[in-house]
Amino acid sequence: MTDSRSISFAAGPRESVPLAVLRDVRKTYVMGDEQVHALDGVNLTIDHGDFLAILGPSGSGKSTMMHILGFMDKATGGEIIFEGEDVSRISAARRAWYRANRVGFIFQAFNLLPRLSVLENVILPMRYSRECDMREATARAEHAIERVGMTHRLHHRPSQLSGGERQRVAIARSMVNRPGIILADEPTGNLDSKNVGRILELLESLLVEGLTVIMVTHDLGVAEHARRVIAMRDGKIQEDRRR
Amino acid sequence: MNFFAAINNGLRELWANKVRSLLSMSGIILGVAALIAMVTVVQSMMGGFRKFVELRGGIEKIQISKDDLPKEQEHLAGLSVGITVRDMKAIRVGAPLVRYISPEIRAGWEQITLPGRQVNTVVTGVGPDWVPVNKRELARGRFIADLDLLQKTCVAVLGAYTAEVLFPGNEEPVGKKLKIRGTTFTIVGVLAPVDPGGPPGRGSSGRGGISRWMNNGVYIPLDTAISRFTGNEVLSALNVSVGRAEDILHAVPQIENILLQTHDGLQDFRLETNEAMLADFQKTEASFTYSLGGVAGISLFVGAIGIMNVMLASINERIREIGVRKAIGARGSDIFFQFLAEAGVISFLGGVLGLGVSFGIILAMNSILAASIPDATTATVKPVIMLAGLLFSMGVGLLAGIYPAIRAAKLDPIEALRYE
Ligand SMILES: Nc1ncnc2c1ncn2[C@@H]1O[C@H](COP(=O)(O)OP(=O)(O)O)[C@@H](O)[C@H]1O
Ligand SMILES: [Mg+2]
Repeated sequence: MTDSRSISFAAGPRESVPLAVLRDVRKTYVMGDEQVHALDGVNLTIDHGDFLAILGPSGSGKSTMMHILGFMDKATGGEIIFEGEDVSRISAARRAWYRANRVGFIFQAFNLLPRLSVLENVILPMRYSRECDMREATARAEHAIERVGMTHRLHHRPSQLSGGERQRVAIARSMVNRPGIILADEPTGNLDSKNVGRILELLESLLVEGLTVIMVTHDLGVAEHARRVIAMRDGKIQEDRRR
Repeated sequence: MNFFAAINNGLRELWANKVRSLLSMSGIILGVAALIAMVTVVQSMMGGFRKFVELRGGIEKIQISKDDLPKEQEHLAGLSVGITVRDMKAIRVGAPLVRYISPEIRAGWEQITLPGRQVNTVVTGVGPDWVPVNKRELARGRFIADLDLLQKTCVAVLGAYTAEVLFPGNEEPVGKKLKIRGTTFTIVGVLAPVDPGGPPGRGSSGRGGISRWMNNGVYIPLDTAISRFTGNEVLSALNVSVGRAEDILHAVPQIENILLQTHDGLQDFRLETNEAMLADFQKTEASFTYSLGGVAGISLFVGAIGIMNVMLASINERIREIGVRKAIGARGSDIFFQFLAEAGVISFLGGVLGLGVSFGIILAMNSILAASIPDATTATVKPVIMLAGLLFSMGVGLLAGIYPAIRAAKLDPIEALRYE
């Protein structure tokens, strides 16, 4: 028998269909008389186990796309299929369920809760997903923290950690609920080169377990690590290159 | 998030902002303290008053006595004879609301003699209803019965103090004989002592705080007193009581009508109830309730605003945190209950502190009361009132927490995360 843990980190039951499909996805902000097209007809298919880097100038719609993929925001047009289901028009509560169970977010600013310890921060997503009891949640959190090499800091506060360490804890938090996809919006933007390397290594190691990773970056060197690089401009995908 | 996690989280937030939390709690603390102190003091006043009224026969009792004639009837004064056995009989027949009728004839201040000892005390002729009308009890033996009145028997019941003086130690009074004005009476019972309250030793016999004035005396059958001592049917007092306190309202005019008939229209009688005392007391009670209730109400209102204010401030500081929680899967309702739980924790702790302060207030009130009124009963906080105070403060806190919690729950995760 295979280790149950590595199975559960794997991509899930719908290997045959793509993880996510965006069809002509639009996001338009209306500001007075003016319309801002943050996303202007995006078409994209994301396969299970892929590693995407999204490049593009500031304001080109990278974050907007991440938010829509991460169930944080609703598109104003188009169609989104996630794990085979049409999620274009689902309720706020359902979107919260997807955030808690199917996607993991990593931010440039780490966004750990300052009053909680490392362990408590990593347990938090399981509190909201209500998938397991406290004992199991703690065990899973400890395992995830071990994966990112932060076991020696279990009871420290985020403020007592370096930037690189905080981002590793944030990665543990993003994967602890065994999501299908990790969305990282400029995860290395606040880190020095040595830490950038460690974070990239960690993200790549997640791929081995069957997770899908999408990462926004400004850094071409960072983008080099991805298998597929997408360039955005003015809310459109300008270039889609597989390496 | 489950319940305990939410409480734990609330306590943590509270602890992280100790001073601010304490300040925001001050209104709730004062409000709960005033509320608990008010209810406790008013309740103990009520209790003390009830005891006072009970000792005087309770609010079911009506005292009928002779009165001066009004001006327009003064020329008929010669016809006025007072309250008589005839009045008593008329009331018994004509006033169905009256349950007990207790006529009294004061035979006078007499010398009671037993072989080898004697004492001076009041001798009163009474009927069997004397016991229920005055809410008294027997310690031993029996009281005067209807048959004693019919047969004009020579039996006597002793007041507790009188019995104590005549029969010191453990000597049994029942069955003994005593002499009043040369007539021999058999003792058939002894009344239970009544304690009119107040500190022990004051006006008492010194044993068990038995006060003399209510425990003194010898009681004999009414008709025996008439035939052996007074020789006429004029009563020195006629007390009646109704079955239910509410019946007083209708019983009083009923009795007045009957007496106007038996007295041929002479208004030479007076009816008194303990209601006047009750009304006075209720006025005092109301003024206490209003003043302390006002303080409690205002404080709780201020407390609610304080909690709402601190919750809004706390949410403003934690917009980013709310964004993060939502990003990792918190639903609006999770955030709502998180902040509601914080308001609940603040108000619960405020309630607990308020309870502590209320103890202080009550202690102070007790010592003030004890210094000014020697008979004052001391107030103690009942557990039910403590619980009610806590629940009330939590109710106020939760109510005040609803609006801030809704605001937090409604925050958009992306905007919240962008917030600096
Ligand atoms: N809430 C908003 N209201 C109006 N315009 C917005 C809002 N959010 C983003 N935009 C606009 O949408 C465009 C894309 O933004 P974003 O996705 O954040 O770009 P990127 O992450 O690539 O820098 C920008 O022009 C930005 O100004
Ligand atoms: Mg961006």
